[in-house]
Amino acid sequence: MLRLIFQRLVALVPLLFIVSVLTFSFTSLLPSDPVDLIIGDTGTQEQYEIVRERLGMNQPVVVRYFQWLGRAAQGDLGTSFFNSVSVMGAVMQRLPVTLSLTVVSALVAIVVGVSAGIAAALRPRSWIDRLATLGATFGQAVPNFWFGLILVAIFAVNLRWFPATGFTPVSASPWEWLRSVILPSIALGTSSSAAIARQVRSAMVGVLQQDYIRAARAQGLSTRRIILKHALTNAMVPVVAVLSFQITVLLGGALIVEQVFAINGLGTLAIGAVRQQDIPMIQGIVLVMVALVVAVQLATDVIYGLLNPKARPS
Amino acid sequence: MTAPLTTTTRTATRGQWRLDGSHVIVGIASAVLFLLAFMAIFADWIAPYEPLKQNLIEALQAPSAQHWLGTDDLGRDVLSRLIHGCRVAVIAAAEGTAIALLLGVPLGLFIGYRGGWWDWVVMRLVEAIVSIPGIMVAIVIIAILGPGLHKAMIALGILYSTSFLRLARGVVLAEREEVYVRSARVIGASDGRILLRHIFPNIAPPLIVQVTLTVGAVLLSEAGLSFIGLGVQPPDASWGTMLNTAAAFMDLNWFLAIPPGIAIIVTVLSVNLIGDVIRDAIGRGIAVDAKPAAPAVRMDNRPVVAAPAGPEPHRSTVPPRPQGDVLRVEGLEVVVGDGAGLPVITDLSFGIAKGETLGLVGESGSGKTMTGLAILGLMGAGLRTTRGSIMLNGRDLRSLSQRQMEKVRGNEVAMVFQDPTTSLNPAFTVGSQIAEVLRAKKGMSQKQAWTRVVELIDRVGIPRPEERARAYPHELSGGMAQRIAIARALSCNPALLIADEPTTALDVTVQQEILDLFRDLQEEFGMAILFVTHDLAVAADICDRISVMYAGEMVEMAEVNQLFSNPRHPYTQGLLRAMPHASDRNPPLPTIRGSVPRPGSWPAGCRFSNRCDFKIAACDRHVPLVGSDRLVRCIRASELELERAS
Repeated sequence: MLRLIFQRLVALVPLLFIVSVLTFSFTSLLPSDPVDLIIGDTGTQEQYEIVRERLGMNQPVVVRYFQWLGRAAQGDLGTSFFNSVSVMGAVMQRLPVTLSLTVVSALVAIVVGVSAGIAAALRPRSWIDRLATLGATFGQAVPNFWFGLILVAIFAVNLRWFPATGFTPVSASPWEWLRSVILPSIALGTSSSAAIARQVRSAMVGVLQQDYIRAARAQGLSTRRIILKHALTNAMVPVVAVLSFQITVLLGGALIVEQVFAINGLGTLAIGAVRQQDIPMIQGIVLVMVALVVAVQLATDVIYGLLNPKARPS
Repeated sequence: MTAPLTTTTRTATRGQWRLDGSHVIVGIASAVLFLLAFMAIFADWIAPYEPLKQNLIEALQAPSAQHWLGTDDLGRDVLSRLIHGCRVAVIAAAEGTAIALLLGVPLGLFIGYRGGWWDWVVMRLVEAIVSIPGIMVAIVIIAILGPGLHKAMIALGILYSTSFLRLARGVVLAEREEVYVRSARVIGASDGRILLRHIFPNIAPPLIVQVTLTVGAVLLSEAGLSFIGLGVQPPDASWGTMLNTAAAFMDLNWFLAIPPGIAIIVTVLSVNLIGDVIRDAIGRGIAVDAKPAAPAVRMDNRPVVAAPAGPEPHRSTVPPRPQGDVLRVEGLEVVVGDGAGLPVITDLSFGIAKGETLGLVGESGSGKTMTGLAILGLMGAGLRTTRGSIMLNGRDLRSLSQRQMEKVRGNEVAMVFQDPTTSLNPAFTVGSQIAEVLRAKKGMSQKQAWTRVVELIDRVGIPRPEERARAYPHELSGGMAQRIAIARALSCNPALLIADEPTTALDVTVQQEILDLFRDLQEEFGMAILFVTHDLAVAADICDRISVMYAGEMVEMAEVNQLFSNPRHPYTQGLLRAMPHASDRNPPLPTIRGSVPRPGSWPAGCRFSNRCDFKIAACDRHVPLVGSDRLVRCIRASELELERAS
């Protein structure tokens, strides 16, 4: 298993390299000169030169890239052009918020999606099967942020079961934390759960027709054990790849859904940074997101290897 | 024969309904999109108010006669803004999709055709973009270009071009090596011409599907970007910006969120539905068939007049056998379908004693595997037993509940299947699969079970059993996997073992070893074996008695030597003649003309009559199974025997 992880890590090197180059070169793609952004309209030529020197802009681009990469690898993503806070600090402060939404919505999507998928596979054409199909069709058409607004209207404004806005850190109060993330997570996770349900269903229908399922039944194992152990383990193999993709989608969706619930996460930070053209901040957010996605993919590969012995290097 | 007829009619009706259903859906979806385009073009004339005209006195009003959908926080008419939003939606969808298409397809064609370095670099770039959440990619591009509808659409176009690029590249890679492309190259066509004339037409169908998917995705993303303030800029009306306004006033007027939301959903739904229909029409769909798995028996839908005439079919009785049978099947009937059903096995009776091996022989479609599954109660959807009894250790399995059957399986009867590599679960080690049975059926502890597993694996003749127990099925050869399957089947010492063609999928050299193993194990464990095979040589090797099946019924049963030396049914004779002999050097092997008729198209009377050389008029009436020590279902059996003797 360690070997598998190592192999996957090595395979990630080109990807990480390209992403870092893209992120870095992003600076020079911007229409405005970062030095001008920092010193403002009133800056003198002298100030300009000083800031330029401090940013290291006088050095060749390759040198700057490796300096930037070296610092990033040590967790130093630079400072914001606007309020001189450390980018790493700002990102790390918002990360738990966005991560809370992503993780809880992923749990919602997986639990609902997998159970609905199994139920639909066991009873093709039943109401739950139709519901999963209908859910998937609508899930692709309903914007998650609009669904969030509707949830707010019903459960926060009218019923007052959950707060309409805001986020409570889990360290402050786990109960309030759950209350604050539950609506956004449902808004985010529902369409993913429908997509997952469809995948689980089709994988499960295929697996249930396999010889080894019939052989397990011939051996007198209980239906429950056959479905939850023998069939599900195999059916999850193709689903795991979809899960990985869906978690990436949820991470992106969280950026928008945060706005519905006025939650100060990475989304708010990113939108502010874009409006101010705060380069180091945008670079920092992109890098952290890529790190998250890569971590999810790595975890997916490991789970894939656990579920599917043939995928393990021998 | 009404059963197959009803089935046919019902399927036809359902098919028609579905066809109509999809027509209706396409009709509605097209109407929605047509309306959208109409409003986008004529928004200025249709909208009752100016979309930007403020009237703070009439802010946040509920729907009324003046303002059908109410007003927003600045007193602007929601309906008018919604109609003008159509224009934004159409522009956004067209721009975003067109950019994605024009960027992705040529680039994909190019790198796919060129390959090499270009391909590597571009594909790594695509991977990098795909590994970042889409909305973040769009946000970063907007950071470079600045916010606004058209710039946001460039961002989305770049984002979604990756799908077009991969699609085009995939098609080129598949087509590049096709013969017609290579021959075009040979006759000296230029690369550009080959791409345009020969490869491009193949991309068109999947491209249309991808376009519909992209249009839907662009519409949703545009709404999202406008919602967070990076797309259409206020005060311009778009569905996304309207929702942005709505979000701020949820507690005052939640209705503001409804019209733009419905507009987005209905539009995207229409686009996706049309896309689905196009995909199905093109036939590239990977949609799952929602129908339940069709029963294993192929039904002939033509209403052929056939078999069971009369109130109660004749029942042949098997002569009582001296020793106590472990398994005794009496007058068993299996049918497929609802109602009376279509019979697939009729009037089947046989018994097997402890330590005895009964061979069940016949061509594919004769019902021999079905018999094995019927004993286990595992025939699959649509199939059920309707008559007779299956007595195992003195208990009728047909009367048992599902739960009771679960107990019986594994403990009293077990089955070994044809293909060992697919009958073991690929996700678990072979040892754990045997141990699981021991723990579930015998209540053994993990440790006890594992000790027994190693003993069993050793017993079925696998060297280094400890090590092999930890292997996965794919790490074992076919013969070894079949030994494991046998070990699992025998783990709870069942009284009856059903072996369904257990050597067919194996190498000839391995076949003999497995047959020897069955014989050894039977001596040790004393179980009765029902050995299903189409291979008479294998049956001759392992069986004590052989029962020949044809078209769902038994036509002959005899002790193995008697059957081979003196077959009495013309079908058995045919099978024996079709057996290759090593000593024979005569190449043309006799075959039985025709093939086994399907259930529902069995001839009335003797089911073999339409393939039989000895058919007479009397063969069209029901033929019973007769005899004392050996049985045969042929009215001319003794007559033909005399003929041959003379």
